[in-house]
Amino acid sequence: MKEKKLKYTLISVASIAAFLSVWYLVTDVFHIFPSSTFPSPVKVAQAFIRKLTVKTPDGGTLATHLAASLKVALYGYLLGIGIGVPLGILMGWFRKVDLIVKPIFDLVRPIPPVGWIPLMILWLGIGMRAKATVIFVSAVTPSIINAYTGIKQTNSVHIWVARTFGAKSLETLIKVGIPSALPMIFAGLKVSLGASWMALVAAEMLASTEGLGYMIQMNRMVGKADNIMVGMITIGLVGAMLTWILEKLENKLVKGGRTK
Amino acid sequence: MRKKIRFQNTKAETAVYFCASLTGLLLIWYLAVRYTNLNKVMPSPFEVFAFVGSSFVKNIGSRILPFHILASLKRVFVGYFLACIIGIPLGIIMGCSRTGKAVIKPIFELLRPIPGLAWIPLAILWFGIGESSKYFIICVSAIVSIILNSYSGASQVDPILTGAAKMLGARPIQIFFYITLPSSVPQIFAGLQVGLSSSWMAVIAAEMIRASEGAGWIITTGMESGNTVQILSGMISIGLVGLLLASLLRLMERGLCAWNIQGK
Amino acid sequence: MSKVEVNHLTKSFGKLKVLDDISFQVEDGDFLCIVGPTGCGKTTFLNSLVKLYDVDCGEILINGEAVDLNKHSIAYIMQEYSTMSWLTVRENVQFGMKIRKFSKKKIKEKTQEVLRMVGMEKFADYYPGQLSASMLQRVSIARAFAVEPDLLLMDEPYGQLDLELRFKLEDELIRIWQETKTTIIFITHNIEEAVYMSRRIMVLTNKPTKVKEDFENPLPLPRNVTEESFVEMRNRVTNLIKWW
Repeated sequence: MKEKKLKYTLISVASIAAFLSVWYLVTDVFHIFPSSTFPSPVKVAQAFIRKLTVKTPDGGTLATHLAASLKVALYGYLLGIGIGVPLGILMGWFRKVDLIVKPIFDLVRPIPPVGWIPLMILWLGIGMRAKATVIFVSAVTPSIINAYTGIKQTNSVHIWVARTFGAKSLETLIKVGIPSALPMIFAGLKVSLGASWMALVAAEMLASTEGLGYMIQMNRMVGKADNIMVGMITIGLVGAMLTWILEKLENKLVKGGRTK
Repeated sequence: MRKKIRFQNTKAETAVYFCASLTGLLLIWYLAVRYTNLNKVMPSPFEVFAFVGSSFVKNIGSRILPFHILASLKRVFVGYFLACIIGIPLGIIMGCSRTGKAVIKPIFELLRPIPGLAWIPLAILWFGIGESSKYFIICVSAIVSIILNSYSGASQVDPILTGAAKMLGARPIQIFFYITLPSSVPQIFAGLQVGLSSSWMAVIAAEMIRASEGAGWIITTGMESGNTVQILSGMISIGLVGLLLASLLRLMERGLCAWNIQGK
Repeated sequence: MSKVEVNHLTKSFGKLKVLDDISFQVEDGDFLCIVGPTGCGKTTFLNSLVKLYDVDCGEILINGEAVDLNKHSIAYIMQEYSTMSWLTVRENVQFGMKIRKFSKKKIKEKTQEVLRMVGMEKFADYYPGQLSASMLQRVSIARAFAVEPDLLLMDEPYGQLDLELRFKLEDELIRIWQETKTTIIFITHNIEEAVYMSRRIMVLTNKPTKVKEDFENPLPLPRNVTEESFVEMRNRVTNLIKWW
């Protein structure tokens, strides 16, 4: 059994190696594409090292752009989940809240977060507030939906147990509803994170003077594809890291050998 | 939470509250614009609806509204279609073959964290500002969830089913077509749904960055000329079309997977 | 005044009449076993008692007043598995006590006591997902006993357990009943179990369910299943239930 696992791991490694080799061959060796539009992995690595310290041509080092992006993203994300999760919980548990809020939510929800960008730019101008608002909009929706679904899926048997012991509605929500909904709530947090990160990139391409999204947009205008790729890879890496952190948190907080 | 049987009431109740909420929202909007300073930045609901209505005959830019929507939709369908014909087979291969998984998954996992929208600058650099770059971006945005869901659908076929088929003497290819494929369909459709909404988002974003027509173009030019009515009209249209697309797909799913309707 | 008084209880689900004009009383400290054919509404009756269902007609009184879950100390062991998957065994057992606001010291003591009683003290820090079904049932039983209820309702709680454990828990239940003088309503399919434990037996009919017969079980405790008087009582109940 171990040999099989080794075999497949080797195939995976070979696959990645092949991918990188083909990339390198196509660009630096055979020059099928001009290196200004499609740089080789080597050039990208060089650009990465360069961007750690050099500010041109987009006005900042990799680190400053990254910091700017993270700041805005976290701001909008935390605001989004801070409002979305409690709202979803209340909507799921209290029918009155559901009946009032849900129609409004269903009306606003189909508008994609990126669609809010022009309005926000017009109202709030280019900068942090507009970006944070767009990210907030994209984070709030999955949080509400998942918290709502999680609460709605509460096992009625568990609710009955609490009731027969004499617990009232609010106590049951806190002791039964929320704990049993936590896995779904965390799933929502993960989706919100992905959505926020994506909205961030869009917002920075249109409404910003700093940040990773701005960086790749700027470099396109001056035709520096290697910097674009550095930006893209950084965006991908940081996004993956944030998700990983969230998963580690989930493992710690959401205990139990759940059967579902 | 008593076990009261109250179906009639709930359906009618929800409909009533929905209409009430909608009316209430429009009313607040109208009153706010009329009686506060909001009218400096926000038009009244009537202005917006009038604009939407008139844009069916009057041009926004150089074309009427339906044309813009169709332009966006055309891009979505090309990119989405590409994502389907590439993504579904890739996902299924990953799910059915351990070798396939070992080859494809690492590359997929490398590229996956990069959000579809982050490809826009590169796509424009490679394909120019024409349609191809938009098809590319839409395809990339949609393909991730399509591959992921096709993979999970194909790899999670109930082993009891395949075991039973083997016992009855089925050959691998028969198992694939008669068991694996049909039982993966619901999960694949889940991926298609997410992929479609990703596509719709991607086309709007792509059009906002570089386009000369389309729904995303409408709201961007509205912003550039300070025309809030146009922006809001655009946003509402975008939302409605998005809803329509999702409903259409759900209808298709109902037809193909009548045995597996998951309530929402 | 009786502990539990049921007057003309009628309950239907749509057109299906399940409980039909059921009336009986349970005295304080009584041990009543309800036996009857499958689907005759035994669970429906218990659910109506704890106000999970609304009744069409009739009333259920505890100590002469309407059922009030805050006031009356009731514990209900359901047929369905009801352990909470996000809590450890220990936390599950403490669930009811915390809602009833027992003191910290009391909670600690009682938890130890009931866990030992059902034989689960080794698994106190496990999660339900790691345990078998019969273990989880034991946890539910422990949780119910922990709150020292006035009225204990049990819906076929021992059905999934193996014989040895079932005998042990039956004896435990009788012991606790004698010590604490809790009023117990116990539903079971198992006639031998009913005859072994109860002081009163109530036999129900098929749907629409009525009380077929309601009588005392005067056999002295502890009971011996091989004795003639036991066998006689068992046959009596069996004959009443002959629904086939």
